[in-house]
Amino acid sequence: MKTSMPRGTHLARVLCLLAAGMMPLAAAANAAPAEKYLHVKVEDPTTSANVHVNVPLSLAEAILPAINNQNLHDGKVSFHYSDVNSVDLRTILNAVRTAPDNEFVTVNSNDSDVRVAKSNGNIVVHVIDKQDRGQKVDVTVPIKVADALVATANNGQLDVASALRALSDAGDIVLVTVHDSSERVRVWIDSRDTQ
Amino acid sequence: MILLGKLVLGTAGVCIAGAGMLCSEGFVHVNVLEKGAEPHHIEVIAPAMIAPAAVRFAFLSARVASPAARVSPWVASNPQCEVAQAAWQVRAKLPFIHAALANLRDAGDFTLVEVDAPGEHVQVAKSGDSIVVDVNNSDATVHVSAPIRALSSTIDQFARASM
Repeated sequence: MKTSMPRGTHLARVLCLLAAGMMPLAAAANAAPAEKYLHVKVEDPTTSANVHVNVPLSLAEAILPAINNQNLHDGKVSFHYSDVNSVDLRTILNAVRTAPDNEFVTVNSNDSDVRVAKSNGNIVVHVIDKQDRGQKVDVTVPIKVADALVATANNGQLDVASALRALSDAGDIVLVTVHDSSERVRVWIDSRDTQ
Repeated sequence: MILLGKLVLGTAGVCIAGAGMLCSEGFVHVNVLEKGAEPHHIEVIAPAMIAPAAVRFAFLSARVASPAARVSPWVASNPQCEVAQAAWQVRAKLPFIHAALANLRDAGDFTLVEVDAPGEHVQVAKSGDSIVVDVNNSDATVHVSAPIRALSSTIDQFARASM
């Protein structure tokens, strides 16, 4: 025998189920974004010494303006190379942003191999120094972060504080790796508070 | 008898309130265990509230020792004093230091720095409301824990001392 449920009750049940299903989604949407951490790991295989540094990006942002040392003042790094100062970094970045993924610079010499490319919204630089213990350096900078570096800085300056803010909005990313016979360095960003 | 009871109750109340106030900023915990043939063990647990007061008192004593300080700013009259210079520099960076410490206080627990080398381990971590430093090497094991709020007040007092 089939019992019929009043149509209003059935509708109420469906709505309750929908509401229950939506609650976790709403909670996730309201949750504050997870704190991002800047991690640095330095390993020296020759001495078995390891250094691990974990800094919340918000803490780095707060500390940076207090550091006034050599070329770093008020969260901005100044560089004084006449050949670089005459280059308009903003214009170059605009050109890179609008260009499709591509390899822009390739230099192969007896001393070093250098490759600069754009890949998935990042500027990627690979350097192999054939002179210095075969050192390999990989740098990945999201274009948004590169934009922030030059957006509010004067010519001959890089705005590190703005770049840190931009990094908070970027996803998990490995920024720098350096490998050579005596040292391994890795700098990356993620939401974990440990390495 | 009733008067004596009231007095005891009042004194006990003042003691409890004083102890509560003294402990309100937490405790600084220092634990040093020296290794070797004659190991020493030093353990100090002190209310963190006395740290800012101690810094203030130390600077006041130094000012009294230097009469010139009464007529001119201390730093100007004591350019040779490295502590005075340091206090002056800290004062200039006080807003950033406060912002950083507030940020640190709000952050979850995490390990700020960890150094592992043969025979040595150093860790600086944020745990609860405190900064915890642990050093373990062949000479000693050191553990220092200090509440961040007390650090903030101590740095404040240190910076104010340069005025």
